[in-house]
Amino acid sequence: MGFLRKQAVHLIAVSTLGLALSVQFAIAKKEKRNPAAVQMDEQKRALHALNRLAFGPRPGDLERVTAMGVDKWIDQQLHPDKIDDHAVDARLAPFRTLRMDTRELVENFPPPQVIKAVAEGKQSLPSDSARRAVYEAQLQRYQEKQERKQDAANADPATGAAAGKPAQPGASDEEQARRREDRLYADLKAEDLLDLPPDQRMKAILKMPPEDQRALETSLKGDKRDEFMEGMKPQQRETLMALNNPQQVVTSELMQSKLLRAIYSDRQLEEVMTDFWFNHFNVFIGKGADRYLLTSYERDVIRPRAMGKFEDLLVATAQSPAMLFYLDNWLSVGPNSDFANGIPKRNPNYNWRRPPRQRRPAQVKQAKSKRSGLNENYGRELMELHTLGVNGGYTQKDVTEVARVLTGWTLKQPRQGGGFIFEERMHEPGDKYVLGHRIKPGGEKEGREVLHLLAHHPATAKFISTKLAIRFVSDNPPPALVNRMSQTFLKKDGDIREVLKTMFHSPEFWAPDAYRAKVKTPLEFVVSAVRASGAEVNDALPLARQLQTMGMQLYGMQPPTGYSMKAETWVNSSALLGRMNFALALTAGKLKGVQVDSDHILASNGSPGDSQTTLAALETTLLAGDVSRQTHDTIAAQMQTTDPKPGAANSQPGTGVIAGLLLGSPEFQRR
Amino acid sequence: MSITRRIFLRNGAMAVVGTAAVPHFLTRAALGAVESGGRTKRLVVIFQRGAADGLNIVVPHGEQAYYAMRPSINIPRNAVIDLDGFFGLHPAMSALQPIWSERHLAIVHAAGSPDPSRSHFDAQDFMESGTPGIKATEDGWLNRTLRDLPSATDKSAFRAIGLGPSLPRILSGRQPAVALNNINDFGVGGRNPNAAPVSNTFEAMYANSVDTVMQGTGQETFEAVKMMKSADPARYRPAVGADYPRGRFGDSLKQLAQLIKANLGVQVAFADIGGWDHHVNEGSTQGQIANVLREFSQSLGAFWIDLGDLAEDTVVVTMSEFGRTARENGNRGTDHGHANVMFVMGGPVKGGKVYGRWPGLEQSQLYEGRDLAVTTDFRRVLGEAVDRHLGNRALSEVFPGFDNQAGKFLKYLG
Repeated sequence: MGFLRKQAVHLIAVSTLGLALSVQFAIAKKEKRNPAAVQMDEQKRALHALNRLAFGPRPGDLERVTAMGVDKWIDQQLHPDKIDDHAVDARLAPFRTLRMDTRELVENFPPPQVIKAVAEGKQSLPSDSARRAVYEAQLQRYQEKQERKQDAANADPATGAAAGKPAQPGASDEEQARRREDRLYADLKAEDLLDLPPDQRMKAILKMPPEDQRALETSLKGDKRDEFMEGMKPQQRETLMALNNPQQVVTSELMQSKLLRAIYSDRQLEEVMTDFWFNHFNVFIGKGADRYLLTSYERDVIRPRAMGKFEDLLVATAQSPAMLFYLDNWLSVGPNSDFANGIPKRNPNYNWRRPPRQRRPAQVKQAKSKRSGLNENYGRELMELHTLGVNGGYTQKDVTEVARVLTGWTLKQPRQGGGFIFEERMHEPGDKYVLGHRIKPGGEKEGREVLHLLAHHPATAKFISTKLAIRFVSDNPPPALVNRMSQTFLKKDGDIREVLKTMFHSPEFWAPDAYRAKVKTPLEFVVSAVRASGAEVNDALPLARQLQTMGMQLYGMQPPTGYSMKAETWVNSSALLGRMNFALALTAGKLKGVQVDSDHILASNGSPGDSQTTLAALETTLLAGDVSRQTHDTIAAQMQTTDPKPGAANSQPGTGVIAGLLLGSPEFQRR
Repeated sequence: MSITRRIFLRNGAMAVVGTAAVPHFLTRAALGAVESGGRTKRLVVIFQRGAADGLNIVVPHGEQAYYAMRPSINIPRNAVIDLDGFFGLHPAMSALQPIWSERHLAIVHAAGSPDPSRSHFDAQDFMESGTPGIKATEDGWLNRTLRDLPSATDKSAFRAIGLGPSLPRILSGRQPAVALNNINDFGVGGRNPNAAPVSNTFEAMYANSVDTVMQGTGQETFEAVKMMKSADPARYRPAVGADYPRGRFGDSLKQLAQLIKANLGVQVAFADIGGWDHHVNEGSTQGQIANVLREFSQSLGAFWIDLGDLAEDTVVVTMSEFGRTARENGNRGTDHGHANVMFVMGGPVKGGKVYGRWPGLEQSQLYEGRDLAVTTDFRRVLGEAVDRHLGNRALSEVFPGFDNQAGKFLKYLG
């Protein structure tokens, strides 16, 4: 009866009890009582909710949600701004890039283009000593590269650099020897520096010549790196990392923050929805400037609108530098626009009396071929992937028309962090026809009109509802549920929170066949395992690397489709072995920067006793006690066969191994 | 065979589960080809994901219209590797030139899907399901190919391999197929001998599971792990001269060669390579397309050398979801188009020839006034390899609804 009670609770807030009861009665009649909803008891409901609205339970979550009441918890999750999230904020505090705008990111962690500009004297070096050191290290690397190119060209003028082969063997041998020496020297240097207190250590590093700084950074690996950075301020750590690879600071902090939020944030539904929408409006981190644009994209575009109005989200993504760059719309030019025709900007000082300088046809032609055409990339994906869906009833003609409408939606210097602008000169003049609607000439307004049209289209309502139901309910969601969600979408002006409510209050969501029906994606698996084990994550990068080998690199989906949320993609030999190995590595404490205290997990569920007690306690902690007899018996049998040899101290499978077996079990692969 | 291997395992698996020993019939299967002296025919399918620009890969340098429509990204006539006076290879593909000269590389131009979709996702889906326009098809054509193969090694867990972290659509279906990311990580606990009991426990746990999806995949996985362990493909190093370029695609083919050389009974294999969606700054003889083509052809070239005599029984076929617009767009790139080019490489291939009818690039000859028209259905090309090379005559099951009579083959296999 959970879904009914939930509706009642809502209504009590705005009306009298009597009214609420009568309304409840009406709903009960309308929705038909579903025995399924009655069958899931409160504890199971809590687990189900934590598996679907959150990235799985952390130790103690189940009790908390049960005590609070599942419906109340869901309601709270739907209003993340009311949930205190200080704990996760504290964990993210060291990552300064998360609070920088794109321009600051580019200035602090210069990409190759900025370094080139400095090398060519078009831009000056920063005055701040730490920042300057980062620039100088990169400048030196840039110059080395230029020299190598020059050498290669000199060595073999016939083929030049085009051959793409390494330079002469002699030269590379020499270079290798030099690098070996540099490494040796850097190792020694690092030992010396370790004796200094952190602040002085940093000062000494900043005084070193750039090549030594870089060699030092490269030589710092593993434990040595941790030891070296011990006691340094976040900014100092970032500088040290940036000496070697500035843009990696930006991308690695973004990846770490995603994992830390998923693991520790109490606003779990917000994180799930942020992940959902990011994946829906996917942008690939490996495409040029997008390395610097995703920090703002997720923070300023996606997360604040994750449970708002769909149209707001759609417009914000359409105008986001990340999307404009990723799907090339910033380059799309109307074939009949002023820009394409080589007509110069009409500025206020334009002298109307003097006839415009005659351009020779050849010149005009050249300008045209340079940058003068439509780019359909965004127009197509906007309809296929973001709104209507591939069967949403649009044609190739509609794709071209939408591309025409969106000409002029471009960027001001994307590589320097400039934002969206509408450039009238690039905009295609004239009427356009989209999905049978005439779009009258109106500059930027045309695009807004089309986005409005798409955001409120019934095909969009259905497409988005289906996708949400696939994420939250099952790989093949019941059509009746999708229909009701679509209705809500259309009635409530695309209000995502309302659509979610319809889904969370549906009998289909709570049906027994929905319980553990979803196979976890690698992200869901890794995060839920870390959460279940109560691990302390000091460094989330090893987890990010694990996801890469499991085929789900964070922000790493190159095509705009985003990652699949269906079982068929993620259940296969490689994936299963990857999960088993991850589970074992995690619980054995073999993932650097991720500490699991198995005994601590046990302590929360009774005292450590014999191995059978241990198994039972771990089953409770990691899988809420809901483990199949087959899995339980198999693990128990293995413990029997490896019971203590005479005289051997504790040769039973350790708590860690048992925990690993449970996290790698078939049950834990589902949510 | 009325009882498939899978059903047999479902019912009889309990006997072998939980022991570290390799079931006898599996070792026999792994070594089957050697024992019987029979030869395993292999089909390797390569997918260029993202819609490769076929017109800049096998360049119609005899077409004036080609140069007119691509003022900034054409491959100049004097830069192509000429093939037959009309077509030429992109210069970054020199690694394939020797194979062409030896007549083991054939080209099919203007091939593709009859479906008009220009969606990457849909078009890839159709090419992998083998049923253009029909979304309800559950399995991939390469999986269906396995159903009726006349071969002694059909019991190998490695008869169908997808290189990569997940099993591709083309291989999904009823026949067991294995996704393989890295042969060195393929097992529980890596090479640590102490991990055996844990591995056995996982194996038993999955074998006993009532979760049929997990149970089935688990079973396939642990069979494969055991075979891999005994065959130890990692000990096969690339042959002299087989220089795989760095990158995922080169790694995939290198590992595939190791599996083949370790005699693991590979019959069909799949690998993919992305990075073809060049809407902006595609480049011509240098640039984006040149870089990815270099990786593509050097990998294939190395694979060819690496296989040595085993290439006699191997056919490699490449495909991409659709081609790209005949005209360049406003950003020195190309948008989504229609027909594309396919390569077929292998010992039995009658190469050194461009197959298929060339539809031309004049305005009236273009599909929807913008793209290269399809004159050869991709299923025609694949069907010939499935039938003539692998010996599966039931093409109407592999490509249902498509008239794939042997008489209509291009006859690139003779």
